[in-house]
Amino acid sequence: MTDNIIITETIEEVPLETIRVIEGEEEIRISHPGYLFDESKISGGHAEKIFFPKNEQEVATIIKKLNEEKIPVTISAARTGIVGSAVPLYGGVIISFEQLNSVKGIGYDEEEKRWFVRLEPNVTLSELNDVVKLKKFEENQSIPPEKNWVEKFKELNTYYYPIDPTETSAAIGGTIAANASGARSFRYGATREWVKRIRVVIPTGEILDIPRGKYRAKDGNFIIKTKEGEIKLVIPSYEMPKAKNAAGLYAKTDMDLIDLFIGSEGILGIITEAELWIKEYESHMSNVAFFDNEIDALHFVDLLRKKSTFKPEFIEFFDKNALTLLREKQEEDPKFVDMPTISKTVEAAISFDLPFDEETIETIISEVGDFLGQCNSSLENTWCGYEERERARFKHFRHAVPEIVNNLIAERKKTYPEIHKLGTDMSVTDEHLVDIMQFYHKKLEEAGLEYVIWGHIGDNHVHVNILPRNMEDLEQGKLLYKKFAKKAVEFGGSVSAEHGIGKIKHEYLLIMYGEENVDQMRQVKLSIDPNCILNPGNIFDIEVKK
Amino acid sequence: MKIIVLVKQVPEADKVAVNPETGTLIREGVASILNPFCEYALDEAVRLKEEYPEKEIEVIAISMGPPQAKSALMRCLELGADRAYLLSDRKFAGSDVWATSNALSLGVKKLVPDFDLILTGKQAIDGDTAQVPPETAEHLGIPQITYGVNTKIENKKIVVKRETEEGYQIVSTRLPALVTMSKGSNIRRMPSMKQILEARKKTLEIVSAEDIGADDTKVGLNASPTQVAKVFAPPEKGGGEIIDGREEPKLAAKKIFDFLIANNFI
Repeated sequence: MTDNIIITETIEEVPLETIRVIEGEEEIRISHPGYLFDESKISGGHAEKIFFPKNEQEVATIIKKLNEEKIPVTISAARTGIVGSAVPLYGGVIISFEQLNSVKGIGYDEEEKRWFVRLEPNVTLSELNDVVKLKKFEENQSIPPEKNWVEKFKELNTYYYPIDPTETSAAIGGTIAANASGARSFRYGATREWVKRIRVVIPTGEILDIPRGKYRAKDGNFIIKTKEGEIKLVIPSYEMPKAKNAAGLYAKTDMDLIDLFIGSEGILGIITEAELWIKEYESHMSNVAFFDNEIDALHFVDLLRKKSTFKPEFIEFFDKNALTLLREKQEEDPKFVDMPTISKTVEAAISFDLPFDEETIETIISEVGDFLGQCNSSLENTWCGYEERERARFKHFRHAVPEIVNNLIAERKKTYPEIHKLGTDMSVTDEHLVDIMQFYHKKLEEAGLEYVIWGHIGDNHVHVNILPRNMEDLEQGKLLYKKFAKKAVEFGGSVSAEHGIGKIKHEYLLIMYGEENVDQMRQVKLSIDPNCILNPGNIFDIEVKK
Repeated sequence: MKIIVLVKQVPEADKVAVNPETGTLIREGVASILNPFCEYALDEAVRLKEEYPEKEIEVIAISMGPPQAKSALMRCLELGADRAYLLSDRKFAGSDVWATSNALSLGVKKLVPDFDLILTGKQAIDGDTAQVPPETAEHLGIPQITYGVNTKIENKKIVVKRETEEGYQIVSTRLPALVTMSKGSNIRRMPSMKQILEARKKTLEIVSAEDIGADDTKVGLNASPTQVAKVFAPPEKGGGEIIDGREEPKLAAKKIFDFLIANNFI
């Protein structure tokens, strides 16, 4: 039976003074400056205290206290986000999740017939995969203990957690709060689909234990029964784009309560524990195919998506300019790219991973050969590798473009310190892929800007990186960015397919949903967090009531 | 012309740990790969094949190992070898470097008696003995050149640029000969999908001890004069200290200077 009413768990408070804390804005700036930044590199972060809770009980104690005193709090884990979600722009308190970093156990869901791992939020993606792949579980870590799942799990083939948002030092809690995705979402979906259960601390200092499937919306709302009364959460009425999307709150009439918290960027509650599905590892081969023009490459993407009898893990794109950057880097430092020289005649490349085994490999390659032939390319023009260390070379190759771009921008910053990369994160629906690509190229060429386009083309989600050479370019680029956002929305897409909104993309959320709909999100926030203490500034601005 | 490349499958070395209690290798989750130095040798063979089309060079990869070592030979075929043989038999189990080189030389004589050149890696990254290739050359009664970085074929000779501690030497010898390679090209080859497909249509045969006329007196544990007494991990190196000189290079230089003085290095 599903229900739209959830009852909170209360936790016995601990004396606040027993929790480790660093105090003083100046002290934090000097001794713990890392906590004031994340990968967005935005400045302005400041805080009066950093708490280091050891467990959920301590987190709940701190949150309750802060709520009573109406002090804003920013959660800090791996700080790998790139939209500033972990930057404490509103001051107040930082809660560091450093000590919430243990993998608690493993279980098997007999109904779903799937394995899952229970863990604390600051376990990183690479730690999780290390534990799962090498089966580093103690006998007493079976969930529940009497089932002896650990022993059974150890007899199985290799398992892993398939969500791969590139940065493997990201903390699991952050990836859930951001609904992280990355290239492999083409096959596996985003983080959302891999979350079985979460425990969330809400501003009252109480806990919500939310397994997927137990709480579903009724009449457009959820009811949280707390110790003091009831909180009614009215689900926003907007329709989310059909394309890949990480912008704003998840909202659907009959939605699961767990989905409201996943991707909510920490503005509704703080995740203190999660259970994630894991899956059996399959062998894959990594490939990069080259094309003499972009239209052929896009046609190949279409064939892979619609006609292939096997399902690629991901389909990634490099435009002509990205390949030129790589080729120039190869001339200067071949080891950096660590791949054969890229031919000067190619104008687009598609990187794709395919599951395979020795029985199927010949059929698969023949099929790919047929598709390539239809797109004026060939098997001869396609790199292929399947050993782990070879696949690592492909992964490195895919990541080389953003790395070269970042280095280039860092160099230009020396002359123009204000310059930064303008990187889009927009998606569209399948039928608009060719249109949006043509729109991007046309506008960028007209403006005479330097740019590269690369990314997750399987999900119609490419990153346009504008590389300003001076301040004029930067201003022009910003105007184009807005035009692109409007066009992506027109094409049924999202202004942020995977990075989220955080503190730096509020205006694009408005382009996508409009003031009224964003206000509906604000109402959800105000219902559960009336003092606006949780991660203020994420998704939208909220005046902090001090 | 026929070039044999002798190869070995090894665990990916940087991922192997030693169990401190039992002294055995912890192999869980560690991939098996073609020994990187063997890949250099294979790469060199394929390069020669491409450079001297008139010599109609055939590249033959041979390995000794358990059945799963087939995958290392498959990699050789993908990278350009024309055919491959795996010497695999329980009778080979427990072979030390002497017995291994004996088996390999018997395999070479039986499978490719008219070979012109043997290329190998300078050593395998698991055992690191660097003894099997020289011993194989001895068994076969052919000259050997070790630590090659580049080779050229001139008439009936092989000219090898070899690495030494002082610099490079150019050495040549008549063929047939055996050359061990210590370095390859900066960027390793990347097969095309076409090569991956074609490799699966090439010959990859498993050969038994009987096939190559090897009996218990020549191969396996009983024919091995040496035995491994103990395996242990080298002590871990200290972490060291990184002095960041980007902000104040003079201060950083001073720190290093003080450190060297304090430790009597200068």
